[in-house]
Amino acid sequence: MKSSPFSLDRLNRVWINGVLIALAVLFLAPLIYIFLNSFKAADEIFLVPQSILPLNWTLENYAAALSGGFVGYFTNSVVITVGGVALTVILSSLAGYGFAKLPFRGVNFILLVIVATLTVPLVIFLVPMFLMENAVGLLDTNLGLILPNVAVSLPFAILIMRASFGAIPQEIEESAVMDGAGVMRRWWTIMLPMARNGMVLVVIMTTYSIWGEYTMAKTLAMDPGAMPLSVGLTLLKGEVWQYGVLAAVIVLAVLPPVVIFIIFQRHIVAGVAQGAVKG
Amino acid sequence: MPTGFFFILPAFLFIFVFMLYPIVSSGYMSLTEYNFVYDEAPTFIGIDNYVAAFQDDKFVTALTNTFVFGISFFVIVMLSSLCIALLLFQKLRFNSFYRSAIFVPIVVPLSLAALIFLWILQPNYGLLSHVVGDVLGWHALNQPWLANGTIAMIAIVILASWASIGFVTILFLAGLQGISTETLEAAEMDGAAGFKKVLHIILPSLRETYVLTGTWTIIHALKVFVEPMVMTDGGPGTSTLVLYQQVYLTAFTYFDMGYASAMAYILGAIILVLVVVNFAVSRIKADKDV
Repeated sequence: MKSSPFSLDRLNRVWINGVLIALAVLFLAPLIYIFLNSFKAADEIFLVPQSILPLNWTLENYAAALSGGFVGYFTNSVVITVGGVALTVILSSLAGYGFAKLPFRGVNFILLVIVATLTVPLVIFLVPMFLMENAVGLLDTNLGLILPNVAVSLPFAILIMRASFGAIPQEIEESAVMDGAGVMRRWWTIMLPMARNGMVLVVIMTTYSIWGEYTMAKTLAMDPGAMPLSVGLTLLKGEVWQYGVLAAVIVLAVLPPVVIFIIFQRHIVAGVAQGAVKG
Repeated sequence: MPTGFFFILPAFLFIFVFMLYPIVSSGYMSLTEYNFVYDEAPTFIGIDNYVAAFQDDKFVTALTNTFVFGISFFVIVMLSSLCIALLLFQKLRFNSFYRSAIFVPIVVPLSLAALIFLWILQPNYGLLSHVVGDVLGWHALNQPWLANGTIAMIAIVILASWASIGFVTILFLAGLQGISTETLEAAEMDGAAGFKKVLHIILPSLRETYVLTGTWTIIHALKVFVEPMVMTDGGPGTSTLVLYQQVYLTAFTYFDMGYASAMAYILGAIILVLVVVNFAVSRIKADKDV
């Protein structure tokens, strides 16, 4: 990190740390609360006044979660996320290379159109998406959610990949051309490995957005059997909540993205910041 | 055809089928009457849907609520993110812990965060009632929180801000890191320090960052949907019904596809206008200073 712009005296340091600790607690409180509740037995959850820490730690909610209908939501989320991320990475790596290294007339216009879609609210696409998927029988299928998720993830992914390929010196490409390497081979064996950081960032960002995607899933998967976690769990609202089990499932659903975040935090923050500065 | 075209084509097809074609298609549909359940095909009716929208009480309520939400969200997210970024832009021992804590809500699926907040706001056994009643002793204040329209709106703003501040803070931190060391050192030589330095040197240097964070926050403010869908269903009454949600309900509960498309287009137009205004204002300010 670059050196701090302030020279801090002791007093400043104390109050700045105080404010930041308070903020950290506020931001973490909802997550810690659900985590602790997931280890409480049913009667303890309705205890008034409640105890923040579980009085008797139990795993019964997790056992119930793994045997209940939640497994189906979980499977759908995994299939949709893995399929969507894989397609997004492949397609954005191809397109990013095309935009960065193989310019042609009109290429900037195409890029402009793609970037412009980032400002269009998803709700404008929903009705035509629904009608198209209804016409071809893709409603209530995992594929029916993979395809539109890929489409809406692509514009941002393409920008990242275009920047990664753009950062590779032109001489490397030129010397490979001199060696007689065809364009597919240059892309696969030379350029793609050098754009690795961009690909990692695309994988991470797309995983988050598809894993948590709600709006298209709510629209295109009406049958509970086809729903991912982000929509399926909200069905429990309003009915007699099985709170403990719900807490356990929420913890299981939130854990994968949080773990990925903790592992890759530096990479993600640097990537977003870099994209922000360039964009 | 040039080689580059074939590299772009597969991605472009996805974007075309699921985004570009739908933009055109719903643009046309917004000029038609088309009930998905009753009508065989859309009937062209010109701009009637747009006229009808502004005479529709629910649309006007939803539009008003969207702006109430949007302005509160914009002010809170921009100010807190900027302040938090300034605090985090220091050498502090626990800096990376603070960062993790503030950034982590970004990766929590929003609909699940809404469920957690819903639980926190449950009367009697929710966390908020516990803190207000048992910890602070203000039992008289305790109530079914979401039954009150104003509190419900505040809750949605807080949830949305909780989920967004981390990301905008990252953007501001990137902006701060982009300020050249020379600028900061020169300011120090002139005797500017602490608050004065922030006000006169740092804040004016972040102009490009304001465009970026402002655009992002405007788009997200007006696209609010998941929070009221999961937490309040637009209620109590219509006090948290937002535009996005009204479009969704019109299309997929009443299946009035034509009218829904017109309202979606109005929302899209509002976003576009505000993004352009935000961009223009930042540009004009930049030109004046040069």
